[in-house]
Amino acid sequence: MDDFTSLRVLDRFKWLFQKLHIDYAVMRKILQLKLTMDGRRMPTVFNGSRVKKEGNQFKKSLWMYGFYGLLLLTPFLFLGDQYIFFMSILFSVLMFIVMTSMVSDFSAVLLDIRDKSILHSKPISPRTLNAAKLVHILIYMFMLTGSFVVIPLIVSIFKHGIVFAVLFLFDIILISCLVVVLTAFVYLFILRFFSGEKLKDMINYVQIILSVAIMVSYQLVARVFEIVNFDISYTFTWWHFFLPPLWYSATFELMLNNNFSIPIIIFTGLAILGPILSILLYIRLMPAFERNLAKLLSDSKRNRKKSLGLNRFWAKVLCRTKEEQTFYLFASLMMKQERELKLKVYPQIGFALIFPFVFIYNNIRSSSFEEMSNGNMFLVIYFSLAMLPTIVPMLKFSGTYKAQWIYGVAPIQNKFSIYSGTLKACLIQYFIPVYLVLSILFILIFSIRILDDLIVVLLAAIAITLISYRLFDAEDYPFSQSHEFMQEMSTFKVLAGVLVVGVFVLVHFIFAKIPFGLLIYIVLLAVGILIGWNKVFPSGTKVGSTS
Amino acid sequence: MNKEKVLSLSDVTMRFGAKQVLNGINLEVYQGQIIGYIGPNGAGKSTTVKIMLGLIEGYQGKIEIFGEDIGHGNVAYKRKIGYVPETAELYDNLSASEYLTFTGELYGLTTKEAERKAYQLMKEFGLEHVFHKRLSSFSKGMRQKVLIISSLLHDPDLLFFDEPLSGLDANSVMIIKEILDQLAARGKTIFYSSHIMDVVEKISNRIILLVEGRVVADGTFEELQAQSKEGTLEAIFNQITGFCEHKEIAEKFVEIVSGGNSHG
Repeated sequence: MDDFTSLRVLDRFKWLFQKLHIDYAVMRKILQLKLTMDGRRMPTVFNGSRVKKEGNQFKKSLWMYGFYGLLLLTPFLFLGDQYIFFMSILFSVLMFIVMTSMVSDFSAVLLDIRDKSILHSKPISPRTLNAAKLVHILIYMFMLTGSFVVIPLIVSIFKHGIVFAVLFLFDIILISCLVVVLTAFVYLFILRFFSGEKLKDMINYVQIILSVAIMVSYQLVARVFEIVNFDISYTFTWWHFFLPPLWYSATFELMLNNNFSIPIIIFTGLAILGPILSILLYIRLMPAFERNLAKLLSDSKRNRKKSLGLNRFWAKVLCRTKEEQTFYLFASLMMKQERELKLKVYPQIGFALIFPFVFIYNNIRSSSFEEMSNGNMFLVIYFSLAMLPTIVPMLKFSGTYKAQWIYGVAPIQNKFSIYSGTLKACLIQYFIPVYLVLSILFILIFSIRILDDLIVVLLAAIAITLISYRLFDAEDYPFSQSHEFMQEMSTFKVLAGVLVVGVFVLVHFIFAKIPFGLLIYIVLLAVGILIGWNKVFPSGTKVGSTS
Repeated sequence: MNKEKVLSLSDVTMRFGAKQVLNGINLEVYQGQIIGYIGPNGAGKSTTVKIMLGLIEGYQGKIEIFGEDIGHGNVAYKRKIGYVPETAELYDNLSASEYLTFTGELYGLTTKEAERKAYQLMKEFGLEHVFHKRLSSFSKGMRQKVLIISSLLHDPDLLFFDEPLSGLDANSVMIIKEILDQLAARGKTIFYSSHIMDVVEKISNRIILLVEGRVVADGTFEELQAQSKEGTLEAIFNQITGFCEHKEIAEKFVEIVSGGNSHG
């Protein structure tokens, strides 16, 4: 275990803890252990990038937060001195990022039930344990928020002067306290009314949202300067009291613009009282929180059978054998319920939905809407197909990969039906929803004339799925390997996948030029898929060996 | 008694790299037998079972199950086998109902049949209230029960149980023991490996002791008793494996725990 700088800093405050009757040596030991464990966890901001498991991942992720700070916060400092607008946007972004990071990466700290059996069984006073937990959260918050705001803070000194920067720092500290307590409240609320499994699902979704939001914000930040050049005055409405970012931007109005209107004064009051009151409330509710933590392992509220009706229908329609249907249903369940897999796959789906529109948006700014809707711009829908070569290789991973013994033990007649069913489930579960949404929106934009093009896209998607499988992971069983090996996915393979999609775009473009070309292409694709699928996944029971 | 031969191994050897795990195993197992398959850690018990299930390949020798050589690559024989693995690995993001239906279907049951049977069996174990809950929220004992159910859903003729009782409470252990007895009475064959000697002693009608990849004892409990002149299976086990230093080791261990300065 390393000795952490944060702990050495903490050592200076040893007297304070001792005054509070806290066993400092024990608390330090616990914190050292916890910080070591944090270093070994994989933070969500790294999702998608290839990182080796060694080294302190948490510390490395702080650089990412620094970079996001530069990218997401700094621009707002250059938007003039209408603080109530620009600072509230800035604080909203800050709160969003810090809170989602808090939920996604730090849930392990707030919600560690191992604490109960490991630490609470030892002769340590509850006072010391609670202090350790609180200090741990504070260290984390300090580092995370610190690296996120350090660049904007320095920039603000030069742009708006030292008074602004001090106020900014002060607000950030208050916001951090508020965020910690709010996160705890969110957990408390969910645990009070839902089961632990539900909470894990929700944390999972927050992680997914964070990944997507960060990717999309890359696209949007560059345009902030263009969008925001309006000059309107702020009008107060009562529900603004419920928006914490406004509380904090109001402090700037008060201090720097000498705006002494009543709402601004109330906002400033809330800015200071809010965190203090919520911390007091948090301390009061802490015992209830600990009690509810016990529910984390339970799955108490779910006792109804989930209907598989629609899945059963598709399984019957799409699969040739009973065996394949079984694997289709199994894969569908895994795809919807495995959190680790969802964390990897759902951001891809988010990008697939958003990227085509990013390109359309770019295009609209250079040409007119009519011009575009009569052109070939709809081909950007192929960008959503790029998710397939990325997702298909992911299907062989699972958090519970050791359960794969079942494939070996069961009398599977035709082992090809395993992956055949899985790929079909992947298309129906992951691709078809994206495709339907995009198709409807594209028909609204480009009119019904592109219907045949959309059919080509659907067939191309099936073909690409099959090709990706063939290229990247023939042989393995689905859900049979640890996620830790996922990083092997080399840049070469990603490029190869994009290239495959590119070839399909090109062919589509060429056939579109020929009269009746698309119809011919549709027939060719359909026949090709039927033959290809049967080649890759031969039916019949001749192939007996299981491995 | 005209009992059918269910399983036979002749001269089965297996090596992992440089390590010889099985040194020529010869076995014949007949219908209705409950075989206690015992041996020290690393003797090759789980390896034997995994080879018979086709989970490990590359063995030498001949294995016949239901009269069919499993080396020929036909997996149909697995349909009549039930397996509880040593490590309780399940796809635990699925609910019990989803997992059991899935495994039942893999063994050729219809969805309805698998689900109905799974529910009834869960109910007998008093687990009907968690039927639709995720396996990740299950305790070790509950998972073990799910595994046992999943191995029996398709009414197999041959059972491989690898430490099936781990994590179960005393009452559940009694139920499982009784289930094994009654299954054997109906002509099922059970291949049972465990480290808990008194359970093996009580439920097996044939005990096979494996040491360093070789069968060193094979017979009923009474036969083994007569051979080795020891009272309990535990003592027989110790005698045959040539282990008698347990007292000395324990003494040293306790010495160190209580902080004796034996190292000077």
